[in-house]
Amino acid sequence: MKYENEAFRGLKLIGWLFLLSTVLVASHKGEFWPFSIYPMFSQAGNSWSRALLIEIEPDDTTNIWDEKPLGSIDQRNVVPVKRLGVDQIDYSNFISKTERWTPGRINALKTLFPEQQLQGKTVMATKATGKLVREDSVAVILTPMFRISADTIRVNPLITIDPPD
Amino acid sequence: MKVTNLLKNQLFDPSRNVSAGELLHFKIFELFVVIYVLAYSWSWGLYTQRLNEEVVLSLGMANYIDVSIFFDYNLALVIAALISLLVLAAFFRIGNRWFYLVVMILFHLQYVIRYSQGEIPHSQNLIGLAVMILAVGSIFFPAGKFFPRFVFGGVIFFIGLGYTSAFFSKLIATGFHWFYGEHLWLWISEKSVDILSRDGSYQTNFLQELALQHGSVASTILLVGWLIELIGFTMWFKKLRPYTTALLIGMHFGITLTMNIRFDAFVMQLILVGFPWYRLIHIDSKRFYDQLLKITLFRKPAISGLAENQNQ
Repeated sequence: MKYENEAFRGLKLIGWLFLLSTVLVASHKGEFWPFSIYPMFSQAGNSWSRALLIEIEPDDTTNIWDEKPLGSIDQRNVVPVKRLGVDQIDYSNFISKTERWTPGRINALKTLFPEQQLQGKTVMATKATGKLVREDSVAVILTPMFRISADTIRVNPLITIDPPD
Repeated sequence: MKVTNLLKNQLFDPSRNVSAGELLHFKIFELFVVIYVLAYSWSWGLYTQRLNEEVVLSLGMANYIDVSIFFDYNLALVIAALISLLVLAAFFRIGNRWFYLVVMILFHLQYVIRYSQGEIPHSQNLIGLAVMILAVGSIFFPAGKFFPRFVFGGVIFFIGLGYTSAFFSKLIATGFHWFYGEHLWLWISEKSVDILSRDGSYQTNFLQELALQHGSVASTILLVGWLIELIGFTMWFKKLRPYTTALLIGMHFGITLTMNIRFDAFVMQLILVGFPWYRLIHIDSKRFYDQLLKITLFRKPAISGLAENQNQ
């Protein structure tokens, strides 16, 4: 055979790489790039959280912190974060996975949407939560989190601001 | 021993000569990988420089070093520049055969710097794996015509393994009822909010409407996709490879239609490595073969006289 010895050597190398990948993913919660056990979508049926950026009227102060269903908002008021140069998954993770809102964390949110990008708009950073209801449909509820304008950021009164780390 | 022999023969096909067609196919694949390495390195570097503020999630190497030091002073761009120089040098076989290994390490670093913000994307994994196999191949087979064969075989091994592993991840984390249609409803709604957030508008397509209206359709979509993942490892077998590859590509199109997740690099890489393109490329010129060999190997071959019955 033409490449018998090389093929054996090649298989051994692949075996070592496989062993290395197993050790790395086993010791790093299934992820050590580029190795992965590809766990995306492995946990089915769980509720989820994402985030939207919704434009609001600057002088609107009535019931702005109230929760509402996704279907009740006008899609035209959703600000496309891609146009602001922000990755929507990063933004969603930022909003939905933050457990402790410190002044530094809130300031980092303001950095995502600087004044020149918002161009005078007042926006609401909003958490969207989806879950199965009655086992035959999905309900998506919007929770306003932060009202961001050119010079200020206001926090939903239900959110506790933690002291800096 | 039988299993190792079988795997060796199926992944590396050692009885077949390395033809000019295979060398050209390999070089096109390598160019594809290099283009993606350049594109990812710079896009990750630019994003990091502009938006990364603090480490939210530590992946890979970031568990051991504080990657926030790379968020400022253009360091992420310096890494992108270094990767670019080294990967281009490696592609053109200028400099050292260890270059791909250094690229691999820097590329991993750039990934964990960029994705320290909470997201764990997988669409770049196959490009990362290809760089890793190129790195190992260039070190261990710098002068052998077996180098391209090793790269293709290694990449195919890890692709097949990844899909089958994804099947078992779902089975273990959820159980046999993973494919129930209401799970797809949740993902469709989640991804629709993602698209709405990204683009400012969203409308469900025909397939999504069908899945949302009929639980059985949603369940069938998930079950078919899940079973295709299970048979991912059959890519290791050369006769089954094109069929498995076609099914995997179909599955990715299905995911794009139902969940709006695109897998451009994944699908292109599957197309490049999953089909025996070398069979379509017939080149009889010995001169061209020698030139291809020259730009494929990292060292001059140990045995002079490059011509082998090229297209056997």
